[in-house]
Amino acid sequence: MNLHTLYLCRFRIASKQVSIASNDQWWYHIGMKIRSVLNPALVTTSLKSSTKDGIIGELLDILVAEKKISDKQKVLKDVMEREKKMSTGIQHGVAIPHAKTTAVKELVACIGLKPEGVDFDSLDGEPSRIFIMTLSPVDRVGPHVQFLAEISTIIKTQESRTRLLQAKSAQEVLAVFGL
Amino acid sequence: MAHEMMLLALQLGVILVATKLSGWFFSRKLKQPKVLGELVAGMVIGPYVLGAIPLGHLGPLFPPMEGTIPVSPELYGIATVGSILLLFSSGLETDLPTFLRFSGKASVVGLGGVVVSFLLGAGITVLLHPSVHSIMEPEALFLGTICTATSIGITARILGETKKISSPEGVTILAAAVLDDVISIVLLSVVVGISTVEMGGGSIAWGGIGQVALKAVGFWAICMVLGILAAPHLTKRMKRLESLGVIAEISFGIALLLAGLSEMAGLAMIIGAYIAGLSFSQTDVSTEITERVKAVGDYFIPVFFAVMGMMVDFQAVGSVLVFGIVFSLIAFVGKLVGCGLPSMFVGFNIKGALRIGAGMLPRGEVTLIVAGIGLASGAIGADMFGVAVMTMLLASVAAPPLLVQSFKGGSGYKKKLEAPQETDMITLELEFPSERAADFLRRSIADAFRSEGFFIRTIEGSVRSWQIRKDEVVFLLRRRGANLELTAKQEQEAFVRLMLMETLVDFQEFVDSLKSMEQPEMMGAGLLMNMFAQENESSG
Repeated sequence: MNLHTLYLCRFRIASKQVSIASNDQWWYHIGMKIRSVLNPALVTTSLKSSTKDGIIGELLDILVAEKKISDKQKVLKDVMEREKKMSTGIQHGVAIPHAKTTAVKELVACIGLKPEGVDFDSLDGEPSRIFIMTLSPVDRVGPHVQFLAEISTIIKTQESRTRLLQAKSAQEVLAVFGL
Repeated sequence: MAHEMMLLALQLGVILVATKLSGWFFSRKLKQPKVLGELVAGMVIGPYVLGAIPLGHLGPLFPPMEGTIPVSPELYGIATVGSILLLFSSGLETDLPTFLRFSGKASVVGLGGVVVSFLLGAGITVLLHPSVHSIMEPEALFLGTICTATSIGITARILGETKKISSPEGVTILAAAVLDDVISIVLLSVVVGISTVEMGGGSIAWGGIGQVALKAVGFWAICMVLGILAAPHLTKRMKRLESLGVIAEISFGIALLLAGLSEMAGLAMIIGAYIAGLSFSQTDVSTEITERVKAVGDYFIPVFFAVMGMMVDFQAVGSVLVFGIVFSLIAFVGKLVGCGLPSMFVGFNIKGALRIGAGMLPRGEVTLIVAGIGLASGAIGADMFGVAVMTMLLASVAAPPLLVQSFKGGSGYKKKLEAPQETDMITLELEFPSERAADFLRRSIADAFRSEGFFIRTIEGSVRSWQIRKDEVVFLLRRRGANLELTAKQEQEAFVRLMLMETLVDFQEFVDSLKSMEQPEMMGAGLLMNMFAQENESSG
């Protein structure tokens, strides 16, 4: 989906800005979920590639190394197909490559950083620096998009993104997510 | 045994056909609630009218039975299942937060109804019945108790049919009626205690009576609290079974268990069923359970109402007709005044008071249970049992039209219901080229939320809206013309945006696949071409 198709449907967001101390159940559950999905081995602070395809390949390699996926080619095809529909490079250097695929039985995720930035066809045209990849099974009901949403919410602020990009180790990255 | 089962099958068949046709006639032609048609069908085909006519060597289809219940135990059992289904779905449809908010008002209304009805019922018996001289005599006590119970069954059905079950009046009526039944049954245990002692010529042991009453109230309170606390955890566990059907069926199993337990505790079964429904009503799967229970209820609930109608012995009623009519009128006044008047002190206006009074009129299963126990214990005779049935019947016939009429017009509540707080809510709005496109996308959005584990429930109203819910997370989706609006708490904004984005991405893929399709009008033309080609072949 190209950007212009988005304009076919007019977006209007009526929101009242209020700060909420979010300490209720919803967050608690997702916190548990993040803990069970992510671990230091699934985080890298130094992605090497300088192309979109290369970055996606590297992220998949992390998942293969941790035995989270076996059929890398199948997943790569699914992820690229999703990227073709609409780039998952969003704003402010954040990209969330994701796909539904038959190659996983449960939600898997990994995080990669590339402080120098890579052209990821992002919506705001800026180079992407923070990559969060999530893969969810096709026919299983579960909080898959919710997981993605929670991760994205945490790095909503400039401050947490800066903290993330300055992280020197996987542990420091996970600390940003409260782990 | 085989003969009884054969008869049961025939009886159920006749009941279903008769109640469904009669219900259709009452609702479509007479514009009355279906339940009245079902009651009347029961009276007509029952053991005191057509059912008694022998059919060849089969004998009568509904042979009158000895004892207080004139139908076979098998048939009565099916009717009991019907009453449990009815009260379980009434409970499921009750909006618990509103129920709790109105429980204070309901207590005032329910208690008022019980006290006034009991005193009037017992008083008129002392006044008009030649052999009763004191309000403390067994006959007066029983007739007073008969006046107190309210049948939620009939009212719930009417409120359900007219979609008023969640209105302040509706909730107050249901809550008060449940309370009435509890109080009536506690009262019954007390009355039975007093009568037994009096008829035996002894003095009254208040300690024993108090114990019975305490047990009944205790069971009610404990089940209510436990049910409300346990139901969300229970459904969460059951979701692992990944079948909504199984969840609904197990929930009904729990309702049956609770019904049995409440009978064991000395309360009516329907109370347990209602508590079970109320407990599940606040879980995110309540609509799914309700839908499935209702489908089964459509088969069993008419049997319950038909059997109620079948209990009417026209001969017994004939001998005490005048007393019966006066007693019924008094019973009416007892509820109208006893429930209506107190309701005006707790926030309702005169219109609301009338609605609540009318809603509390119907008498049903508990009235019959009370009368049956009175008859069996010898405290009242067949004539007074007839009066009880007559009261139940007249109230049940008079209440529905009165209730439907009274609910016309504006609000019966003085204050407006407070709108939910919207301070931290966001609304995302999407505009589409046509209503059809918006509706298509609405379905896709619903499917996407379902695959995230959410449950969708349609909300009736002037604007088409859907509640999307999982545990405590709730979204509201609305369609206004060609616009879709999704309202959510601000903390879930990212999730909602991602969900909408994913749905639109999917939609784009669908649109692309449509573009690659052969032109539909060419396909249509091809179909027609083939049709005529065949005719040419056959003529040539």
